[in-house]
Amino acid sequence: MKRRLAASLIGIIVVAAAAIGATIGTGNRPSLGLDLQGGASITLQPEGEYDAAALEVAVEIIRARVDSIGVAEPEIIRQGDTVVVNLPGVKDQQRALDIVGRTGDLQLRPVLQTGSIDPTAGTGDTETPASTETTLPSETTVPSETTVPDEGGPGESRGARPMTDTTVPTETTVASDATIATNTTAPTETTIAPDATTEDGAATPEAVTTGAPTNEPPAGSEVLLGKDGLAYLVGPVAATGLVFENNASATIQGSAWSVVVQLRGGAEGEDIWNALTTRCYSRDATCPTAQVAIVLDGEVLSAPVVQEAVFTGGEVQITGDFTEAEARDLAKVLEFGAVPVKFAVSQVQTVSPTLGGDSLRAAIISGLVGLALVFVLMLLYYRFVALVVFFGITVSIALQFSIITYLSKTNGLALSLSGIAGIIVSIGIAVDSYIVFFERLKDELNSGRTLRNSAQRSFEGAWRTVLAADTVSFLAAAVLWWLTVGSVRGFAFFLGLATLADVAIVWFFTRPAMLLLARSKFMENRALLGIRAKSETAVTS
Amino acid sequence: MNIFSGFGRLYRGETTVDYYGKRKPAFIISGAFMVVTVVALVIGGLNLGIDFKGGVAWEAPASATFGEAQVREVLEANDVETANAKIQVLSGTEGQRIRAQVGDQPDAVRQAVQQALAEKAGVDVQDVSVARVSSSWGRSITEKAIRALLVFFLLVSLYIAWRFEWKMALAAIAAMAHDVLISVGIYAVLRFEVTPATVVAFLTILGYSLYDTVVVFDKVRENIDRFASSRISMGNIVNVSSNQVLARSLNTTLSSALPVVSLLVVGSIIMGATSLQEFAIALLVGMLTGTYSSIFVATPLYAVMKNREQKYAAVADQVAKGAEMAALFEHSTTRAAQKAAAGEAAATRESQVLKNTASNVLTHPPRPRKRRRR
Repeated sequence: MKRRLAASLIGIIVVAAAAIGATIGTGNRPSLGLDLQGGASITLQPEGEYDAAALEVAVEIIRARVDSIGVAEPEIIRQGDTVVVNLPGVKDQQRALDIVGRTGDLQLRPVLQTGSIDPTAGTGDTETPASTETTLPSETTVPSETTVPDEGGPGESRGARPMTDTTVPTETTVASDATIATNTTAPTETTIAPDATTEDGAATPEAVTTGAPTNEPPAGSEVLLGKDGLAYLVGPVAATGLVFENNASATIQGSAWSVVVQLRGGAEGEDIWNALTTRCYSRDATCPTAQVAIVLDGEVLSAPVVQEAVFTGGEVQITGDFTEAEARDLAKVLEFGAVPVKFAVSQVQTVSPTLGGDSLRAAIISGLVGLALVFVLMLLYYRFVALVVFFGITVSIALQFSIITYLSKTNGLALSLSGIAGIIVSIGIAVDSYIVFFERLKDELNSGRTLRNSAQRSFEGAWRTVLAADTVSFLAAAVLWWLTVGSVRGFAFFLGLATLADVAIVWFFTRPAMLLLARSKFMENRALLGIRAKSETAVTS
Repeated sequence: MNIFSGFGRLYRGETTVDYYGKRKPAFIISGAFMVVTVVALVIGGLNLGIDFKGGVAWEAPASATFGEAQVREVLEANDVETANAKIQVLSGTEGQRIRAQVGDQPDAVRQAVQQALAEKAGVDVQDVSVARVSSSWGRSITEKAIRALLVFFLLVSLYIAWRFEWKMALAAIAAMAHDVLISVGIYAVLRFEVTPATVVAFLTILGYSLYDTVVVFDKVRENIDRFASSRISMGNIVNVSSNQVLARSLNTTLSSALPVVSLLVVGSIIMGATSLQEFAIALLVGMLTGTYSSIFVATPLYAVMKNREQKYAAVADQVAKGAEMAALFEHSTTRAAQKAAAGEAAATRESQVLKNTASNVLTHPPRPRKRRRR
């Protein structure tokens, strides 16, 4: 028991020392928020036609996209007609552009052919007919295991991509409301059929003749590289991401992940979508593979097979061999992909902090002064046991500082002034764990138990209290973290970190420190917390 | 009673304040504060800052002689509030520009500042741009935050209901609402500007309040278990619990408040970082009310609810005071406590004997009853 306590105590001190040593040794510092350090500022100028409402929606979508990238607190404002995106802690302007600059152009295009890239293909010109570029798969059979030597053709998009054994797009599009379904000739691809197959054959698919030649790809078709490594010959843009509501979500059914998204009603949404699916469902010349490619910024993310001619329920479900991450990514793309206004980056600048170095210095100095005052209070009230508080807090700060520094390097976490203030406040909550413990210890000693016995009993009681109270705090942090954005999220992060650190310190540091202290020779003839273990009253214990 | 003996009793956890008996004045005071808050919110609303409401931004070319300080001067010369102004230097390929954002201003002020900035910077008026800026705190952020809070309240209620009991969950949420409302009231009444940092401060208060209440309720629950065998009133239980945790509550409040006071005094008054000031005031008020509400709102409220239960309804009026309450700290039945208290009052040798036996009993505390749930 004693050895285990000592191991825990030494363990946490070594871990904290190593962490802080590594952090200081590598010279890393936590990056600071826009208010304290500044960052990069990108001005986006809307192009083409737009109105105020569309701009508003666009700003929300950009915000959502930027927010989903990391923990830092970006600032997104409209200034006149332009949108200004301020990213904290980003020094590299190119990186800032990478984050914001993706136009997020989401297109839905019929797939004419799929295949793997033929390495002998000549040019990277996307307008060349597909037959020279792709090994032709048949329309219905699966191009299974069409592996191609890993050379990669010339051309901008397919440079370094290794072509591994290409798995077939297995996604299928099914209407979840499948009452109008169809004499489905079950597709030969590895698809998942609609769940409810009531075969009333009500809807005979209407062929949309576009008059496109069947042998040559129609004008406006392109060869695009898929995320799965396949090359897709896709027809002209049939719809944009605007046909979907911004509410796509990844769901799990049984063990299969799928993505569900709602269609916008009316001519802007459902009608366009259904025109496309009708064409594809009937394997019209403009969509012979019955697949619809979901294209983001020129990359085919997914090419599900259409399982319905007309989607009456207004809901589209995409199923297939998704992993959870893939399903979530696709949902995110469908949700934020379509920005209703086209933007061009008009300026990239670095911005200075809004508050200046004074505020940071003031916050840090007042934090240290506050900490010192707390120690003085503890020392006055609990005498030398306050040293346990002192070392505990030191270990805790070392651990938290290392974690914050590490995350600001890897995840772009940025410490804003409110974050620092949150940390200062968390001092009080960390000290509370000690107070709860010591107060119980006092009670136990008062009722005449030996020090050794009291320490053990009071820790057990205090541990329950600390755990209950910290669980509530952690719940707050976790819920706010998952469900919010911006500075609330930043706050939630620091609250959660402080709470976890508190629990860890109580268990791995305070417990062994106090229990060992209570057993030590040093304590035998000393009054702890001003209360001498009652030896004068003849108590048999 | 001199101050030292008072401190000693506090230190030993032997204070005998009848919190439960003072619940009515406490509820009235809290209610009055909440009414003031609601009235202030309805009449004046909150003074939302640029991050919530948007405002005006001027941009001018920066130079060696035209920097942040000069912009601030110009703004102040035109009676524009600069305490929460965001003044930034932008550097890009086209050289440096300086941007000042403040809350909304009338057209006359916009033009006057534009003129003055151009003059000060020594450039044409056309080179200084004026534009309306939108809020950076979008509607979606507020919506998401509110949704998150609702989910959080639900989860916390479920957790407290599972860990303790649902009446405690109700009382804890009520106390928390009380604390947050009063802190918001400070902002509404004093017309402080609400910034994203303020929202964070409110959330901190919310977390702190719940944390504090849970610690007190943990003690109450422990005492309910301890007194499970005797017919003792809920008022007594919460009084004993509150007195037992009083030292802890005051200590925790002090050690939480000291850093915040330091933020206020050292940070904002001595070092002049005014952006910290209002934040610190909100936090300080929130922490003080958080401690107050745990003892004066949450626990009495819980006792009131609990008194409707059959077990406690019969003894609802019996609330021990003074020495009798002190005796309850150590005895687990009302009668034993009354005896001990009576004995102490008599202060005779007899009572001494009684007390001795009592303390002998103490060293072997009764085996705790089996807990209902852990």
